[in-house]
Amino acid sequence: MKTTTTIASLCTALALFTGSADASAQDSNDVRVGLYAVFYHTAADDIQGPFTPKGVTADVGNLQTVYLAYVRRLSPHFELELTAGVPPTSDTIGKGPAKLGSVPWNGQTVGTVKWLSPSVLLEYMFGEESAALRPFVGAGINFTHFYDRKVNANGQAALGGPTSISLNNSIGPAGTLGLYYRVLQHWHVVASFSAAQVESKLTTNTDGVIRRSNRVNFDPQTIVASVGYSF
Amino acid sequence: MRSKKSVVLAALAIGAALAMAGCGGGGASTKSESANTSGTAGVLLYNPPFRVASVTAADFAANLTAQAQVSASAHSLLQLLTASALLPVCGVDFHYIQYYTVGATGEPTNASGALMVPTGLPGVCTGKRPIVLYAHGTASTRSYNIADPTNPNNEAANENALIAAVFAAQGYIVVAPNYAGYDVSPLPYHPFLIADQQSKDMINALTAARSALGKIQAAGTVDSGKLFITGYSQGGHVAMATHRAMQTAGMTVTASAPMSGPYALAATFDAIFFGNVNIGSTEFSPLLVSSFQHAYQNLYRTTSDLVESAYATGFDSLEPGVGFPTLVQEGKLPLTALFNSTPPTGTCNDTFFLGFTPPTPATEPGITAGQAQVFAVGFGTSNLLKNSARAAAVCDALVNPDGAFPMQTTLLPPVNPQNALRMDTKMNDLRGWAPTTAPILMCGGGEDPTVFFTNTKIMQGLWQAFPTGVITVLDVDLTTANASDSPLPFVPLQTAFSGTLLALETAVGPQNAIAQYHTLVAPFCTVAAAGYFRNF
Repeated sequence: MKTTTTIASLCTALALFTGSADASAQDSNDVRVGLYAVFYHTAADDIQGPFTPKGVTADVGNLQTVYLAYVRRLSPHFELELTAGVPPTSDTIGKGPAKLGSVPWNGQTVGTVKWLSPSVLLEYMFGEESAALRPFVGAGINFTHFYDRKVNANGQAALGGPTSISLNNSIGPAGTLGLYYRVLQHWHVVASFSAAQVESKLTTNTDGVIRRSNRVNFDPQTIVASVGYSF
Repeated sequence: MRSKKSVVLAALAIGAALAMAGCGGGGASTKSESANTSGTAGVLLYNPPFRVASVTAADFAANLTAQAQVSASAHSLLQLLTASALLPVCGVDFHYIQYYTVGATGEPTNASGALMVPTGLPGVCTGKRPIVLYAHGTASTRSYNIADPTNPNNEAANENALIAAVFAAQGYIVVAPNYAGYDVSPLPYHPFLIADQQSKDMINALTAARSALGKIQAAGTVDSGKLFITGYSQGGHVAMATHRAMQTAGMTVTASAPMSGPYALAATFDAIFFGNVNIGSTEFSPLLVSSFQHAYQNLYRTTSDLVESAYATGFDSLEPGVGFPTLVQEGKLPLTALFNSTPPTGTCNDTFFLGFTPPTPATEPGITAGQAQVFAVGFGTSNLLKNSARAAAVCDALVNPDGAFPMQTTLLPPVNPQNALRMDTKMNDLRGWAPTTAPILMCGGGEDPTVFFTNTKIMQGLWQAFPTGVITVLDVDLTTANASDSPLPFVPLQTAFSGTLLALETAVGPQNAIAQYHTLVAPFCTVAAAGYFRNF
């Protein structure tokens, strides 16, 4: 309910800003492509369930992917950025005891998961519209959907057999700060740092019998370097 | 599952994604094994069964050493294993089995347990391996799970480690049921000491576990056809009952080693009601009463027929449950007082009860001062069972005596008991059968205050005509063992036990040591069983 309200009010805000954008002489649209370096700051509870020693949890490996964004200019100082990476495949890495029984766990890649993780950000651009270099800050919402969740042979050996994983979708706040630099009339480069709160409940099911779960805060931080084209 | 292409498209359709976000929740993948729902006794619900853990011999040994640094009992176990040349030579894969079985009246149910499979050295650990079918001792917590080596707080933790080390890590496949009424079993009670049901439970677990061999990850470890049965305390009774049932059914038993079990259940019961109250009596009572009532429905109309009003409410569903220590803390069971310290009056023989509440060496010449001290702990004012219940059983025993207690006559159970409790214990008394196809080692401790060693002596007496080698009796306690209870290969084990007991007496005092005596015997007898099985 709360989420629905937040989205609705954001939509209202968008409509207002969109209405005022007509006055600008600048290009109103902007597409960007670049490199997304993602650093996870995972904080996970211990995995709970039958036959699970204390202190067993998992981490996610850092990764890089392609950054894609559409930016709509709303006013001389406000922009709306809709951003996403090409869905990356994250390695799930065992964390906790060195071994579960005699099967290595800590530091082992035990599975993979793909993320569809778009964000919508309202950004405030500092400086004059005509300035080539403009810092900006932004805030918004991230939505993350996990899919193609797989447990590899290492993970199956440690967890006890063929295992399926589910991870709930996440909706959380996102923030960004960055630098915009116009190179040519329609071309610019952007560097930014972003953070989002991504929280999910992980549930594993081994052999259809043994169910375990934990809560995971992935809280990714990203550094983006991109090239944009305005039109 | 979506294709890659459609996912990329979806990534760009951010508006749509946001709209979807309002729905929340990601579905689970559906790759899961479905349960066998046949309900047929002896069939696994999941095959192959879940592998709880896989441990190499080296890691097992390292873990035993690490445990020995922090726990006195683990230290003692490591010493025993080292002295007995039983340090792990095989790795062990621990599997969790769930199988269909029956309750005390034949009602269908299911239960769970452990399948431990040795791994490693071919010929010693893998290939065709013998099976040890293990029956565990009394457990008061419903969560008892002998398949779980990952939880040191589970009531089964010590027994799990012991049988894994002594049998599985020595190359035996181990099958150990948790019994109906424990862990995930939906049976609302446990058929405690019901010989017929418990042996069926054991055989069903064995059949189920055998069906998994070859299908699990350690597929190279298979059944050699040799079958050994053992178990401790309640499990000693269950092991002997299972040997009997398998012999009757014509199933292969290679040898068995029941340990510290109440085989002569009716004689044990009479001794307790006479006043020889065993340590643990208030823990065992709810299990036994609930079990017999479910099986035979002849003990009471309401629990207050037997149990003092302070403990009567819900008495028959206390165990298995939260566990005996918690029940005592909550005031639902007394710690030791089985009977009232005021003798019953208006009975068949008030003078008798005067001398046996509690008994003394003067009134019961067979007992020592030390034993009388132990028995006296079973009497108090906040007692569990009513004087009327005690008097009814004892008065029947005075008229229809057991052949082994208080006088040793025929050694057989009472011929025609009229008291319901005595009829029920007779039904589950193991006297009257004899091992005709496979030999037996009976091991115990002579001073055991929990399950009296007389159980073993009575069976030994009944089977004394058997040729040498068929029946072997071992009393691990040098202070009580005589020549016939001290088979030569086990003399070092007796010495080791007696040394350990002496050290415990020095450390905690004789009274506290005797309270731990029954538990202390277990690893020594289990090692003896392993040594015995190696002969076959």
